[in-house]
Amino acid sequence: MAFLTCQFSRGEILLKPLILYFTADYPSTEILKSFLEAVDPDVVKYVEIGIPESNPLYDGPTIKATHSLALKNYKPNHLAEYTGILGRKGIPAFALSYYEKFNKLGSGYATFLKDAGFSGVIIPDLLTDYSEESDRIIPEIEEIFSFIPFFNPATPDGLINAVSSLTGSWIYYGLQPSTGIDIPFDLEEVSRRILDLLPGREINFGFGIRTTGQIGEILSLGSSGVAIGSLLVQYLNDKDLEGFRKFQESVKEVCASAE
Amino acid sequence: MGKIMLSTQDTAIIPREWYNVVPDLPKQLPPPVDRDEKNSSIQLLNQILPKTILKQEFTFQRYTKIPEEVQEIYAQIGRPTPLFRAHGLEKALDYHGKILIKYEGATITGSHKINTAIPQAFYARDEGSTGVVTETGAGQWGTATTVAASLAGITSKIFMVKVSFNQKPLRKEIMELYGGEIVPSPSMETEFGRQLLAKVPEHPGTLGIAISEAVEYALEHDLKYMLGSVFNSVLTHQSVIGLESEKQLEILGEEPDVMIGCVGGGSNFGGFVFPLMKKFKETKIFASTASEVPKFTKGEYKYDYVDTAKTLPSIKMYTLGSDFVPEKIYAGGLRYHGAAPSISMLVNSGRIKSSDVTEDQVIDALKLFARTQGIVAAPESGHAIATAIEYVKANRDSKETILVNVSGHGLLDMSIFQR
Ligand SMILES: Cc1ncc(COP(=O)(O)O)c(C=O)c1O
Repeated sequence: MAFLTCQFSRGEILLKPLILYFTADYPSTEILKSFLEAVDPDVVKYVEIGIPESNPLYDGPTIKATHSLALKNYKPNHLAEYTGILGRKGIPAFALSYYEKFNKLGSGYATFLKDAGFSGVIIPDLLTDYSEESDRIIPEIEEIFSFIPFFNPATPDGLINAVSSLTGSWIYYGLQPSTGIDIPFDLEEVSRRILDLLPGREINFGFGIRTTGQIGEILSLGSSGVAIGSLLVQYLNDKDLEGFRKFQESVKEVCASAE
Repeated sequence: MGKIMLSTQDTAIIPREWYNVVPDLPKQLPPPVDRDEKNSSIQLLNQILPKTILKQEFTFQRYTKIPEEVQEIYAQIGRPTPLFRAHGLEKALDYHGKILIKYEGATITGSHKINTAIPQAFYARDEGSTGVVTETGAGQWGTATTVAASLAGITSKIFMVKVSFNQKPLRKEIMELYGGEIVPSPSMETEFGRQLLAKVPEHPGTLGIAISEAVEYALEHDLKYMLGSVFNSVLTHQSVIGLESEKQLEILGEEPDVMIGCVGGGSNFGGFVFPLMKKFKETKIFASTASEVPKFTKGEYKYDYVDTAKTLPSIKMYTLGSDFVPEKIYAGGLRYHGAAPSISMLVNSGRIKSSDVTEDQVIDALKLFARTQGIVAAPESGHAIATAIEYVKANRDSKETILVNVSGHGLLDMSIFQR
């Protein structure tokens, strides 16, 4: 199964496995830009950029800490600089933003994100806290750009089916109910569930992935890709571009060996 | 009548799998969250809970296999518990519909609490723990824990809410008989207890405080903490109540129009109604709570802490506040400030209706139930019976079939009648 997502290493159809998450303007605009410049388009298929929040409720402690600092640096006009760097590499960027902003600004907020260069948006608290709004807001967003459904093990089957039918986009599946925490789970069971519910859809897994070994395992179970967030924070904090490059290389190797 | 007896005696009725409601909820269950960036209280669960419990807590799987050993013990402790028609109560109320009772008081410890204590203690033992710690209000949960720990061959330590400790001295003796060590809470054995006692030496204690002490003690002494209620995994274990009821109703050829249970943290209620809701989609459901602890009617639906020291994560539920100090009602098990997130969600959506009853109504209900059915029900369960009586009075001509979960017996709670 693994070769499905790792074909890039054979130089065939570009199906790349890695999704990277960064919080906008963390640790600083310049450092983040240098990391984005170092993103390897041979292995990274999308980049998610988190819009800084005062209360990122469903993020784990590591990502939460990035938000409080990022909030001090944050300027909305920086977003286009980030998506610009990625665009030159042919990597689509997706915004990750909590619902409150949509609540305040309506679909105008989606237009703003699209104009800033994003291909779509993930709203981590929409189905948990505002599910009654989802039938209205999802089609509105889809008129503008992609709405990326975010599900996790606590999302009821009925809701997964209903929401995913409102979009044709890829799906983000959190393996854990929050980022950066270690709840023991059976990877195979958790993956099988979503893959069986939504056959044929592009499903990328995230939340709580810590090692390249896990990445290999997840890909071999049939996911289309893996999202990495908390794991990158250390590289950012240390301004360790070299470590970041090596990490991307190691994911390529995992794919090569899984083939 | 013969048919009724048969239905309750057959161990084939004991389920082989527990049912988890999460994948069948209409909405996504809001996850537990940390509020503190530095100390993850969710991470802390890794230290104090057996891994299997933690897995079950966050699983989306509808069914989980009940370990063979636990199934066997379920049979020894009195499962399946009886489900019978309360002819005596119907007659006394001049009701022309049916009242059916599922009776969890028939287990060896006298309540539903043993249903989850057994698997939790066995998982703790299997993962190498030498002992378990927990809190108890009325003493039912503590009793179940001490039995389960002894059956698993490990130790148990129970922080018992002080007001109940004083009201119910026999509880302490029973728990000690079963091999447990009992301390009134707040106690001098934890930092949190010492701080509280320094401020309020005569503090009556609350479940929220006792939970904080038990968690602190478990962390300090490398023991496993047992979850008495509120958490999803506990409701899953308690699903044996509803799953058995489903089969028993089938044998009796009955379908409930109304289901009623009492809510402390929500474990007997969730375990009872969730498996049945799947089949009986139109059934009216009432959660009975104490007027003195009106979580659903006066509480707020929001994120709040499970315990008073805020050691455990916060969860989205109906809550009166984690520092709420309730009146000293006898139904100690209903003095908890919040209720399970899944139940809270369905109360919020209107699927589950709530009903508050006063202690006076409960005493009348317990007396009537004792005199018409011969069962001394627990004060907590008396709330469900009182709600059922109110329902019958308001709907006398409806001929509906009302199914009531009586979560425990009250033979050790007789002090409520000396009030
Ligand atoms: C007999 C009985 N019923 C009900 C309860 C309330 O707990 P829960 O809502 O978790 O069932 C208790 C708790 O101590 C109890 O002992």
